[in-house]
Amino acid sequence: MSVSLERMTAASREVNGAAMAAVLASGIGALAMGFVALLNEVGAFTVPALYAPAGGVTGRTTLVTVIWLVAWGVLHARWKAREIAPGGVTFVTFALTALGVLAAFPPVWGLL
Amino acid sequence: MLFSERSIWTMIHGVGLGGAALLGLAAALFYLYATRAPAGPGEPAAGARALAAVTTLTTAMLWLTVITGTYVIFPPYRVTPPAGATDLAQFPRAMLLANPGTAWLHRFAMESKEHMPWIASMLATAAAFVVVRHPSRVFQDRALRSVSLGLLAVAFVLTAYMSLLGVFVNKVAPLH
Repeated sequence: MSVSLERMTAASREVNGAAMAAVLASGIGALAMGFVALLNEVGAFTVPALYAPAGGVTGRTTLVTVIWLVAWGVLHARWKAREIAPGGVTFVTFALTALGVLAAFPPVWGLL
Repeated sequence: MLFSERSIWTMIHGVGLGGAALLGLAAALFYLYATRAPAGPGEPAAGARALAAVTTLTTAMLWLTVITGTYVIFPPYRVTPPAGATDLAQFPRAMLLANPGTAWLHRFAMESKEHMPWIASMLATAAAFVVVRHPSRVFQDRALRSVSLGLLAVAFVLTAYMSLLGVFVNKVAPLH
């Protein structure tokens, strides 16, 4: 009984800010991936290859990984001690992810 | 030798790591879905630890799949054949593009596989972080569980889709 009560208390003390930061950062990373791929395909922005045999994809994915990690770090620092309303973060994350997937979808590139 | 080194790497990438990632994503999704009813305060710690372990391991498998795909599989796939080469079996991208009937396997399938798996990996990482950070709350907090389920579901769909495209490419233009 006391163990259960301790668990309840510990759970209620947890704030979700760090988790919400990770969630939103993944959406930002997804959008960045799509956006960088799209810009590369239309010739507006080219990232140099990090590993020449694999080509430009290595530069693009490394850049996006850095963007994702920086966004995560900044959000984590700002939210880690706060309780964040999950509804808005969830909606924005999945909207960013949908846009990112769409922008990384090759048939879309042909429309531009 | 029955399998070439490149062929073995393709199997490690697609079947070993990618297959493990798909299984892990499915397991984590099922476990979270099966506990969708509000859990009591005494949610077994063993279940929470198992979910955290599966999700973390799955995320690691997904990242390894993506990294081997980009840095090990993709270079030999995209090698340009020498001028005048007629046998393109060692040059999968050139072989696909040489035939109008298979060019889509590069222009659609392989170009999708260059970027989308990275999105799946980032989403799975976020889900793993949530589950590891809040092993108890993820069972009790409907919003936290829903966002974790959503991230894992999108990562699963993207991974399954990329795996299917990989099978198509490998059937027509395998790395020998």
